[in-house]
Amino acid sequence: MAHTASEWTLASDDAWDSASDSESAYRSPPTTSKPTTFTSLSSSTSSTRPIPVTPSTATSISGKSPQTTRQSTNGDGLTGSEGYTHVLAPSPSSSYSQGILGKPPSAAGWTMVRSPRSSRMRDQGADPEVENEVEVDMEGSVTEVAMGRNRRIREGREAIKYDVEDIVNDPLHAVHSLSSTEYEERVASGIGHPELQHQHAMKAQKRQKFVDCLTAENVDIAALRKLAWSGIPDELRPISWMLLLGYLPLSAATRKSVLSRKREEYANLVQLTFARGIEGLDQQIWHQIEIDVPRTRPGVRLWMERGTQRSLERILYVWAIRHPTSGYVQGINDLVTPFFQVFLGGYIDSEPSLFDPALLSPTALNALEADCFWCLSKLLDGIQDNYISGQPGIHRSVRYLAGLVGRVDAPLAKHLKAQSVEFMQFAFRWMNCLLMRELSVKNTIRMWDTYLSEGSNAFSEFHIYVCCAFLTSWSEKLRAMDFQGIIMFLQSLPTQTWGDHEIEVLLAEAYVLSSVWHNAQSHILKGE
Amino acid sequence: MAGSEAPPNLKLLLIGNSSVGKSSLLMRFTDAQFLPEDESSATIGVDFRVCKMEIGGRRVKLSIWDTAGQERFRTITSSYYRGAQGIIVAYDISNRETFDALPRWFTELDTYVTPSVVKMLVGNKLDKEFSRAVSEDEGRKFAQRNGCLFLEASAKTNVGVREAFQELVEKILDTPELWAPAAPRITSTATAKPQQSMPGSIDLSANAQDNASSGCSC
Repeated sequence: MAHTASEWTLASDDAWDSASDSESAYRSPPTTSKPTTFTSLSSSTSSTRPIPVTPSTATSISGKSPQTTRQSTNGDGLTGSEGYTHVLAPSPSSSYSQGILGKPPSAAGWTMVRSPRSSRMRDQGADPEVENEVEVDMEGSVTEVAMGRNRRIREGREAIKYDVEDIVNDPLHAVHSLSSTEYEERVASGIGHPELQHQHAMKAQKRQKFVDCLTAENVDIAALRKLAWSGIPDELRPISWMLLLGYLPLSAATRKSVLSRKREEYANLVQLTFARGIEGLDQQIWHQIEIDVPRTRPGVRLWMERGTQRSLERILYVWAIRHPTSGYVQGINDLVTPFFQVFLGGYIDSEPSLFDPALLSPTALNALEADCFWCLSKLLDGIQDNYISGQPGIHRSVRYLAGLVGRVDAPLAKHLKAQSVEFMQFAFRWMNCLLMRELSVKNTIRMWDTYLSEGSNAFSEFHIYVCCAFLTSWSEKLRAMDFQGIIMFLQSLPTQTWGDHEIEVLLAEAYVLSSVWHNAQSHILKGE
Repeated sequence: MAGSEAPPNLKLLLIGNSSVGKSSLLMRFTDAQFLPEDESSATIGVDFRVCKMEIGGRRVKLSIWDTAGQERFRTITSSYYRGAQGIIVAYDISNRETFDALPRWFTELDTYVTPSVVKMLVGNKLDKEFSRAVSEDEGRKFAQRNGCLFLEASAKTNVGVREAFQELVEKILDTPELWAPAAPRITSTATAKPQQSMPGSIDLSANAQDNASSGCSC
């Protein structure tokens, strides 16, 4: 048994708290190609990308929306009910610089993110003065930025893109938002290592392919899928996801009008739904959502902000009442978070998980919420039987996973059986939350690039191959453990340090598995 | 398995409505920790924890399954009743609904577990005395009517948590047919399977030292 006693008790909690959200700002776009030509990259190269300092962009925005206006308008654009609308008074002091205090991960991998007000953080002796010189990830670990580089993290309202209104109206605008010279400068600056330069050049090339694809009058969806499979550059992800999900039309001509119609439609839905205030809601559903919203991505700044929580409540409730056979099921809240972070990321130049969305204009905030709602709906369309009574989709997936592992890794399957471990005991959550309790949001976002490229069944089918690759990657460790060890290990997997590289290896393996086994599904289930 | 040196491995189950603090009670008990609402996440499906206890000089090993409270998960969580010797049913003393839901939980218990399985009703969130919605007396009476133990507790302020687990385990130890497989079974329902078939009952002797320093109250 590899674990010590204290690790047992520490590790016995959800992997969630410790595994999640170690995303740091500005990861470089993935560069891995389709599995056949899969090459491994040093993960250390993908950690930072220089951020251009353009302070002038920020002032124009803050001038446009003074705080007093925002206080009175924020939030009520979409809600028809006074009792429901929570008017926020976002304090400028809640910005990035004040809030982030670091806490190094503890020995047993138990990292608890505390709110900035937490005294425990202060005990760590983090000094707010030095924050502009450090890069802070969401676990609160503080990494020093490469020596001698003069860089500044844009924070709060300053981080909002100067052309945010244009991007809101047309997500494709993001393509032009950053000129290519600017991009190349960004890519080339400060990194002298030839190998890195080569990789950055590759990235620029890859980005250009995306730009060419996305700016076509009629987007070639097959081409976009092919490109997106191996990862989408951050700034092009919002438009790409919207297209891949079928939320936006491929034809550029109708795109803007469709988008504004969908947003209006959502605004009307919200208005209608909340017209009679909280009392008019289905209390059982509302109560469950109300309980779960504050526990969504615990400890992550963005999800602790009231503005985000109110948006999430509306998204979940409106979806739930429109899908009465499933309603709201715990875990669906998790599935909103990648959309929210990706789409928010399209409007700002800082790390979304650290941003207070109340700083956005009501128009941008409403657009963000509406887009999340529709994209969540599209995603859930493909996996709705995971959430209906009896959760048959999950049962089917877990059964298939068990059969698959039996074929792919018979010794592991045999060991699990000998130890009386049932797949349902660990894989239920893998299906219900699409591995979001096992991986960070950043990992999930990268994973969804591929899922969305795989097509509408990916979240129910390709996902099982990913789960199989995921489980069997721990095969050797698991085979040395007994029942208790296995369950505890799978409950808090050591994925905290995972970056794009690990996810891409996983996806590549899943791809191979799906190519080999996909046509033998009935065979697998029979042989189980 | 019935060897006198090996500590008996008891299987416990935590049930109750969503957000009454089942995971918090367990975390307080096993890790001596409490996380506020915005720092903990909802349990999906079932979580598992182990710990050791010493009661009256006797060591026991506890395998505890912590279930998700939402109705939709009931199909999966109900399968964990099998082989359990003790069940903690939790409600929130500051939330009437969670108390009113108890009859449903006890109906489920009647369906899945044998009558000899020890039950403990825990009224959690005693720290919210100021917004109490269920009196202690009501809780106690309900427990008496349903033949189970009763305690009020607070995972947050660490009141009654250790006691709840301790009383439950003591009662189980006083009911040999629950944990001593050699003893003749007095019940003959289908759920009273031999212990070998239950999850969490594996290899009693292997990890004798593993949890020596765990946060459990041993």
